[in-house]
Amino acid sequence: MKHNLCKTIGRAALAVAILLPSASGAQQRNATVSSRTIAYEVARETIIQGVVVSYTEDSSEPPMGAHVAVQTVGATVDVHLGPAAYLRSNHFSLSAGDPVRFVGVSISTKKGNVFLARIMQSGKQVLALRSPSGFLLAATAARALPQAASTQNAQQGSPR
Amino acid sequence: MNTRVNRMAPLAWLFVTFFAAGCGGGGYSSVPPPPPPPAAKFSNATLVGQYALSMTGTELCAGQASIFGRAGSFIADGNGHIVGGVEDINVCTGVQTLSFTGGQYSVFPDGRGSISLTNNTGTTTYSIALSTATQGFIGQTDANTTASGSFQRQNSAAFANAAINGGYVFDFKGAEVAGTAVNVASIVGRFDADGVGNVSNGLFDSNIAGTLSGQQTFLPGSFYKVDSNSDGSAFGRGTAHIAGQDFAFYIVDATRVKFIGTGFPSVFIGEAFTQQNIAFNTASLSGSYAFLIDGTSSSGPIAAAGRFSADGGGNITNIVVDENNNGGITLLPNGTLTGTYTVDANQLGGGTLTWTDSKSGTSSFIFYLISPTQAVFQETDSKIVSDGSFSAQTTSTISTAALAGDYVFGWSGISPDPEDFVGQLTLTSSGSFSGLMDFNEFTTGKRVFDIPVKGSVALNGDGTQANTFRVDVQTSPASSFNFTVYIVNENTLLLVGVDTNRLVIGTMKRQP
Repeated sequence: MKHNLCKTIGRAALAVAILLPSASGAQQRNATVSSRTIAYEVARETIIQGVVVSYTEDSSEPPMGAHVAVQTVGATVDVHLGPAAYLRSNHFSLSAGDPVRFVGVSISTKKGNVFLARIMQSGKQVLALRSPSGFLLAATAARALPQAASTQNAQQGSPR
Repeated sequence: MNTRVNRMAPLAWLFVTFFAAGCGGGGYSSVPPPPPPPAAKFSNATLVGQYALSMTGTELCAGQASIFGRAGSFIADGNGHIVGGVEDINVCTGVQTLSFTGGQYSVFPDGRGSISLTNNTGTTTYSIALSTATQGFIGQTDANTTASGSFQRQNSAAFANAAINGGYVFDFKGAEVAGTAVNVASIVGRFDADGVGNVSNGLFDSNIAGTLSGQQTFLPGSFYKVDSNSDGSAFGRGTAHIAGQDFAFYIVDATRVKFIGTGFPSVFIGEAFTQQNIAFNTASLSGSYAFLIDGTSSSGPIAAAGRFSADGGGNITNIVVDENNNGGITLLPNGTLTGTYTVDANQLGGGTLTWTDSKSGTSSFIFYLISPTQAVFQETDSKIVSDGSFSAQTTSTISTAALAGDYVFGWSGISPDPEDFVGQLTLTSSGSFSGLMDFNEFTTGKRVFDIPVKGSVALNGDGTQANTFRVDVQTSPASSFNFTVYIVNENTLLLVGVDTNRLVIGTMKRQP
């Protein structure tokens, strides 16, 4: 699931284009959306760049999952990456001193600001962590693999 | 080891009884013989007949965790053998319909047990917990696969199109795949079935990765059809096109149908329930309700449980909510909390519900009423895909004495990787409980059976509010789960975990 940034953004646009017509039939009741502070909005995305201070696979601070502390020019930023298993399965590791770059959104929590990373880059490795809508890909990404590749790579011989 | 202790308890009792009787037989003791042991409530003979199952969970796919679902039907012979069945699976490699060629099961006296189901790909294994002879919780316990759901005894008399007749309310959740985009999804709605395979008055609301459809009508071509071959006549299987999605389904009875999406690579799993045949209006929602919903937010998995009161006139009061957003806990009320609701003018049971906390903001939902006492419930807040149900709370007094008894439970969640739990416990009138459970952790591959659990429930006020429920799990090292429990009635309890390092939700059902 390595992507380059251009491809990811292009796919995001395609996904939106594909999804929009999927609502079928005449609309009976309009959707009402209330916005909560936890919402991920692509329009609020920013890029942070810096050096890894520390990496924690299972942080004690919410949101649950892997966090990385990144020293940027201005501050140390707490970046949420989602389940560590997803990083491992994509052969992505982080160590103190690694230069990193993240695209995502900063949100406020009771314990301070957390940067929800959508795309992470370290060296030549790029990994999409969240969908363009902001949802973690960890539990669903494998569904997007081409069927043939998926079949080929799936656990061979396991009972279903 | 713990299992052995537990399962040998009846043998130990027999041993003691035998010798006590022997000693007393000579007339040397004035101690009366002990009372006979309570009859075991459950045994292999309890699980007999045809059952429909459905579950969703996480499988290992190309080295990654991936959502999957299964629904099917199995036949238990009452003597520990699975003697037939069929299931539909939607896994990362595609959808398949697989016949069960065999299997085994064991049911322990406390209602817990295990099942293995064999098809031409191999054998899958499950832990179960029976609340009655006709239903229970089920959790898959294979390596690299964890899932949880429920099963119910089927009524084969309903294995025909004619049995599916009248209004039905449904709730499907899963993931919709469009090209390379995989989006978490929830679809709730209702339709009328005509008994010959046609549907009308189909309405649904979808939430696809936070994009709300608003209420939509079904497109032409929607249908349901019980299979014309033996899968239909013997197992209640059929296919349907509902709310824009393709499904296989399994009939529990005329009032309940289990669905699994077959539109691979998208995956949906859910159920439909008979809708009461009345003209729903604002007054239909009246009294106190408890709810449980779960899904996904930008932060990760999210779940909430709570309660509210509806006045029959569009107002919501007495709102209490516990939300766990991937470890971030929000408790309402935080400030001043007010709410309103509407019921659709078309009288088909749809509606909206909103509450606003002066400090924590607004939460919005839509619902479809199954009856004035039950509904499917979908959150419509920005970038939250979450759904579940709400049910009318009892008007009887809730006390720990009233709650005392035996319960089974099915829980699922993350910590931070997926895990599923199935178990049984006995709650005393003092609020303490003990029992045993099985669980399966996906990433670690840890599968634990017959692990003792202890804990306590502490009611808050009259018990209709947020009550605390602490579970101490006797693993090594020991661990504790902290839940808030909302009580529907003395038979059904809804739990949401409020730990910051674990998000577990589930239901408890009373045993006889």
